[in-house]
Amino acid sequence: MGQIILGVGDYGASNTPGDDVKTFALGSCVSVILLDPKTRTVGMAHVALPDSSINKAKAAEKPGYFADTAIPALLEKMATFGCDKRGKGMIVKLCGGANVMDANDTFQIGKRNALAIKKILWSYGMGAVSEDLGGNYSRTVSISVSAGQITLSSPGKPNWLL
Amino acid sequence: MTQLITQEELQKIVKAVPMLSPSASRLLQVAAQADHDLVDIINLVKFDANLTARVLKVVNSAAFSLVSKVSSIDRAVSYLGERIVVGIALGDCAGKLFTKELSGYESTSGSLWKHDLRAAIAAREIVVECKAEGISAELAFTAGLLHDIGKSLISDYLQGSVPEAIALLNGEDSPDYLEAEEKLIGFNHTQAGYELAKAWQLPDELAEAILYHHEPEKAAEEYRPLVYAVHLGDSIAMLGGFGTGADSMRYKLDPGYKNYIKVSPNALSKVMLAVDMEFEKLEGSMNGPGEQSQ
Repeated sequence: MGQIILGVGDYGASNTPGDDVKTFALGSCVSVILLDPKTRTVGMAHVALPDSSINKAKAAEKPGYFADTAIPALLEKMATFGCDKRGKGMIVKLCGGANVMDANDTFQIGKRNALAIKKILWSYGMGAVSEDLGGNYSRTVSISVSAGQITLSSPGKPNWLL
Repeated sequence: MTQLITQEELQKIVKAVPMLSPSASRLLQVAAQADHDLVDIINLVKFDANLTARVLKVVNSAAFSLVSKVSSIDRAVSYLGERIVVGIALGDCAGKLFTKELSGYESTSGSLWKHDLRAAIAAREIVVECKAEGISAELAFTAGLLHDIGKSLISDYLQGSVPEAIALLNGEDSPDYLEAEEKLIGFNHTQAGYELAKAWQLPDELAEAILYHHEPEKAAEEYRPLVYAVHLGDSIAMLGGFGTGADSMRYKLDPGYKNYIKVSPNALSKVMLAVDMEFEKLEGSMNGPGEQSQ
């Protein structure tokens, strides 16, 4: 029973009952959460930017950092837990992608992250069943592996479920 | 329940803050002069034994992975660059302010320093990446480090105010957190920081960056480009997930930055990545007031 803490650009998975998979203070970053009911595995990636073409070396070192490299890496990781390699049967949830107030198009980095993630997911035939994206506040995410329950928190707000 | 701070009380709060060390104060003055040379910075560091020792310790830390040990202060300053030297000096003499637990924002100890360091890196990177003219990238870094120092002064007075502040933000005229602070205690963090800047006799550029980093259009024309760089640096630090608690991202982006800094979505991505990479390096090596990251 432990906590798997994911930093910016990290990804990870667990099927150990009692574990929590957690990431702190998502700003414009988006958390991609994959739940596999068959193997009761929970996976998450903390994605910072939409496209790895700006720095291939960083993508090789930390694939979870970019939308286009994070999802294949996360699926590969989850396959080691016996999950389907192409994500068949998995439940997808997304959260994060916030912004500062009155942000213009250039600064909609959270929106671009979410869109890039959705495009990659579509290429696998996957889509999010629920999402909590946007807004002007940061989110901390905690997933309990036993219950598959996703709890979001933000300073000054009561916790809520995704 | 919060109480309004009077101007008199604010002066008392500012007076209780220790003064900057003479070398930190002089470094900030020199760094703000457009025609200064790195030699001027080196000479200032040389006359402060503690600062010399700290600078050498940082340059020889694992984060910079130098092949051979640097023992000359000239080489150390040249290698690190003036911004990091100024950062070390500031962290040494104002560390307590930077590491104070911002309980009034429901934030932990160390979060202000991390936010400031990231805003500083971002302000510098945006100037460099977007080739913004007329802005000193090194000074943008220093201004970024100092921009939120006022939060440390008013945080205690905002104790327990977060739910009320958030309720204000959801009000009709959709104010930002700056206005919420003013409504709750009569001052916002930029005004408090400006009072400290005056007490510390900071150069005008830095004082204006502190006062107007959320309202850059109000800054004096000659300092406005620099203030916009800090405004963007602050926003980028918050977007990267490093705010200072409940107020994170609850500030307005001023599109007027376009008149001074041309930012494309791709450039913004590059800056955000550079901030992550540089932060990792600096946070570990400058350790001074910084703490372990999450």
